[in-house]
Amino acid sequence: MIQMYHVDLRYTGGTYGLRDISLTLERGEFVFLTGSSGAGKTSLLRLLFGAEAPTAGQILVSGRNITRLRSAQVPALRRQIGVIFQDFKLLPERTVFDNVAIALEIAGTAKREIRTRVWSLLKRLGLGHRIDHRPRTLSGGEQQRVAIARALVNDPPLLLADEPTGNLDPGLALDIMDIIADAHARGTTVIVATHDPTLLERYRHRRIVLDGGRLVADRAPETYGVGVVARGAAASRA
Amino acid sequence: MIDVRSARRLAVSVRSGLRGARERPMVFGLSVATMAAGLLVLGSYLLIAANLRGVLERVGADLRLVAFTESGAASDAAGVEALAARLRALAGVRELAWIAPDEAMARLRRDLGDDAEVLDGMARNPLPGSFELVVAPERREPAELRALAAQVRALPGIGEVRFGESWVEGYARVVRVVEWLGVGLGAFLVLVLGAIVAATVRLSLHARADEIQIQRLVGANGLFVRLPFYLEGALQGGLAALAALGLLRALYALGLPLLGDALGWLVGAQPLVFFGPGEALALFALGVGLGVGGALMSLVSLEDRA
Repeated sequence: MIQMYHVDLRYTGGTYGLRDISLTLERGEFVFLTGSSGAGKTSLLRLLFGAEAPTAGQILVSGRNITRLRSAQVPALRRQIGVIFQDFKLLPERTVFDNVAIALEIAGTAKREIRTRVWSLLKRLGLGHRIDHRPRTLSGGEQQRVAIARALVNDPPLLLADEPTGNLDPGLALDIMDIIADAHARGTTVIVATHDPTLLERYRHRRIVLDGGRLVADRAPETYGVGVVARGAAASRA
Repeated sequence: MIDVRSARRLAVSVRSGLRGARERPMVFGLSVATMAAGLLVLGSYLLIAANLRGVLERVGADLRLVAFTESGAASDAAGVEALAARLRALAGVRELAWIAPDEAMARLRRDLGDDAEVLDGMARNPLPGSFELVVAPERREPAELRALAAQVRALPGIGEVRFGESWVEGYARVVRVVEWLGVGLGAFLVLVLGAIVAATVRLSLHARADEIQIQRLVGANGLFVRLPFYLEGALQGGLAALAALGLLRALYALGLPLLGDALGWLVGAQPLVFFGPGEALALFALGVGLGVGGALMSLVSLEDRA
């Protein structure tokens, strides 16, 4: 699903956001991207949805090299990717329905289909009774569920979540992770950036550890008991 | 050919553009009012210029180049016709009229009125016959007139030629000033109004920054993001132009009697006119164009990727 080869992200002024990242994610995989603040988790996700272009290396998503995408080609990539953020990024003046429907409207979906899909997804996420509400009248957990609905309503093959539970109480955080896990169970490839140890403990998936922009460990769930997989092992997965 | 999905996206984008006016009525209304004021100034000037141009054209149509014959050169009908044929052949002469010496004397008497008796003592009519030439509009520039006068003067049998050179120079200067003022004022107002729309669209852009970010996040292309702003600008410009035209029409209707009295000495019997459909449509198109242009100016720096 995703291949990254010796990817660098270097900012103006010479500092590196990411340095020499090589990894492979299979279709249908669930991966935690972890590391302390400033480790490069968000930068890596931004590269994957085309918000930034790498300064070196190659990135393939679904077999397509997105490294040198022109601006006009980025929207088509993004319609294949659902993205969730810590701060939800909802439109406060629009209803829950409108906030979710925007992804389908931009994809050019018919109105009737938009109504059906948004309604059934919000119902599945327990927001059926909130469809006409504004985001500010919802709890943090509900707001994040709306954001997840927006990310999933297009049935994207890839879901990226940047600290999706960072603003939520532990109980709500697990609810949100259950929804993401459900999307994964339905076949979506999922990358969750988090530094929440509770989540990492509860959901035993592959973990990619970043530090100072470098990939320092790539741990398969079956290795948790025996320690960190070395960089070379990570590369051999590619 | 536009596909179904693109057509649906376009419809969403259009709705989004119209929503801008509903969601920020104060900013939108203020922008329309400011633009309308600017277009009203421009429209007023254009209206005055159009009427003034009409007056100048009428005055220009009265312009005559008078060629006096030498004594004996046009003493009979054949001589008059021969000279007339040579004058008609000159480029720039649209029509001509022969003023015989007797007619010239009759005119002089008419002009002198009660003082005409001073002519009674004359043994014979001393006035020469003359040709009054109506000059084609494209040959009414001072230089052209001087050249034509020289050609007429060179004809055998023609003596003096007069066309009111200083008056013609003044007339040409007025026409040029009116035209240049129009260009200058128009350019200035176009820039000011463009900047007003650009500022409004920038405010709109700022107010909708979150929405744009989310639209891009879920795969909106550049046109989808920008089109609502172009539409908002066009709507502002169009509404402002309609308001300006309506106000101008009302001012014209209310102020016409006063203006007619004040300008009667200048325009004479010629009635003042309002814009025709073509000119009104051009002002409307200018408003819409300014709106879209202003939006273009403020969207230049909008990044498509982030």
